[in-house]
Amino acid sequence: MPYDLRPDSPYWIDNRARVRGLQEAMAREGIDVYLASRPRTMSFIMDAFCPWRSYLVVPPKGDPVFFTFVVDAVRVADETWLPEDNVRAYAPMGGQDQVSAVSCFVLEELGLSKGRVGYEDGMSTWTPEGYLSRYEYEAFRAALPGFDFVNSHELVDAMSVIKDAGTIARFREASRQVDEGHKAVREAISNGGWKGLTETVIGGIGALAMRRAGSVSEWNFAGLNEISSGRRTALGACTPPTTRPLAAGEPLMVDLHSMHRLALGDHSHNYLIGPATKAQRRHADNFVELVRTVLGAWKAGSTPSGLAEAMFERAEALGCSDFVVPGCEHGIGLFGDEWRIGSAADSPLPYWTDPDHAYAPGEMVICAMQYASPADGIGFRYENPIVIGERGVEPLSKYPLGIEEV
Amino acid sequence: MERTRYLSEEWAAIAGAKLRAELDPQKMNKASASMSNIYERCSDGVDRFIFIECSDGELARFEVGSGEPPKAEFRIHGDYDTFAMITRGELGSQKALMTGRLKLKGNMAKALRLSSLADRINKVLAGIPTDY
Repeated sequence: MPYDLRPDSPYWIDNRARVRGLQEAMAREGIDVYLASRPRTMSFIMDAFCPWRSYLVVPPKGDPVFFTFVVDAVRVADETWLPEDNVRAYAPMGGQDQVSAVSCFVLEELGLSKGRVGYEDGMSTWTPEGYLSRYEYEAFRAALPGFDFVNSHELVDAMSVIKDAGTIARFREASRQVDEGHKAVREAISNGGWKGLTETVIGGIGALAMRRAGSVSEWNFAGLNEISSGRRTALGACTPPTTRPLAAGEPLMVDLHSMHRLALGDHSHNYLIGPATKAQRRHADNFVELVRTVLGAWKAGSTPSGLAEAMFERAEALGCSDFVVPGCEHGIGLFGDEWRIGSAADSPLPYWTDPDHAYAPGEMVICAMQYASPADGIGFRYENPIVIGERGVEPLSKYPLGIEEV
Repeated sequence: MERTRYLSEEWAAIAGAKLRAELDPQKMNKASASMSNIYERCSDGVDRFIFIECSDGELARFEVGSGEPPKAEFRIHGDYDTFAMITRGELGSQKALMTGRLKLKGNMAKALRLSSLADRINKVLAGIPTDY
């Protein structure tokens, strides 16, 4: 929909302030022009959904100029805060391919002939991170011969760690939409309603309810809403739904995703389809206790490794440490920013989350915990966006924590 | 109408008059834009241009000349022969762009919105008896 936010909106983000912040960081690092290619940067600066391969050129001063595939340029221009003329298209035409269009803008409109280009490179656990490809890099270098290219994605990443009020409000609304999805799923599977339903249908029931609540996308690259049942719940932390029918005596994992103004709802809830065995009940109670333990320990100053220690310590006491999957979180931000914690990539393993990263007030992550007992054919997942505060965290999905038998 | 030589002073005078007379501001969507077509490798070795500026759908400025054209929102470069083939209706302008025989500089998103208007201008110019 057309960009309609005003400063008095709870969802307002001061996008020009973000651009100025990036330009200040560019000046500090001696970057003359920033060439962004990652979806997370597009979301962060454009405040619009940019799914096609796009490039954002941020000059030292003034508004950036955005280039995207010609089929989508008019829509993006309609939805972003940027002036219409700052949204450009590239197309398979002479002088209008992506490298020609972007380099012509830098050379002729910005009037730059030499300097340092900040670009985005690295590696990622998920496919669509959007780093500049080697081919693009070589082509841009050839088209901009007077420039040095400097990997600079940290400038954007550092700015996007702490969430502003508008961003948090968007996440809060996305989580409300997810909760509506969970209510619909619970209603559908209760009182024997699960009979004849499949994982994919559960995903669809959740999607319809979330869309009715205002969500615009299930956004997730790993199968949209991730649903698993039976032994599939124990197969790990990626469960694109299948046509497998739900069955009595099995676990059901429902991981729903919504999107509100690029903020991402991501809440996973678990069920036991009755009749549950004592062993299943014990696994379920253990997992809920572990989630409570981790959420209770989390606050500003906590670290990923410290939380993992607390989780394993509690698991040892409960006698379930063999079933705990390491890790308690993944990063989150506006669309495209879904994995690595967005701070400086100076961890012992580059491009992985720093285990000693100290969470700061205003930071958001997904509390993401996974439990799996393949031998028993059972597993659970908890995910919930949390806002980190000085004394604790605020889980944004308000759906009650628990694993009930239906 | 007598035949004139493409891009000559006589041709330019006829083209300007014809565009002013035949372009309907309503059908031109009351658009305001400017465009330079730059003809490279003309037969005498000189680069020539056609500069067209519309304001609220009306032709505000039309120039034919050589050397550097006036600053325009859109610049289209190509061989004289390519432009001549387009004007004679032997080659579509879209195909010329998509095969790289013409190169466009300017905001592609806006150019798309104006492409039908460029076609209307080309149709008017194609109606001038011309020697290439």
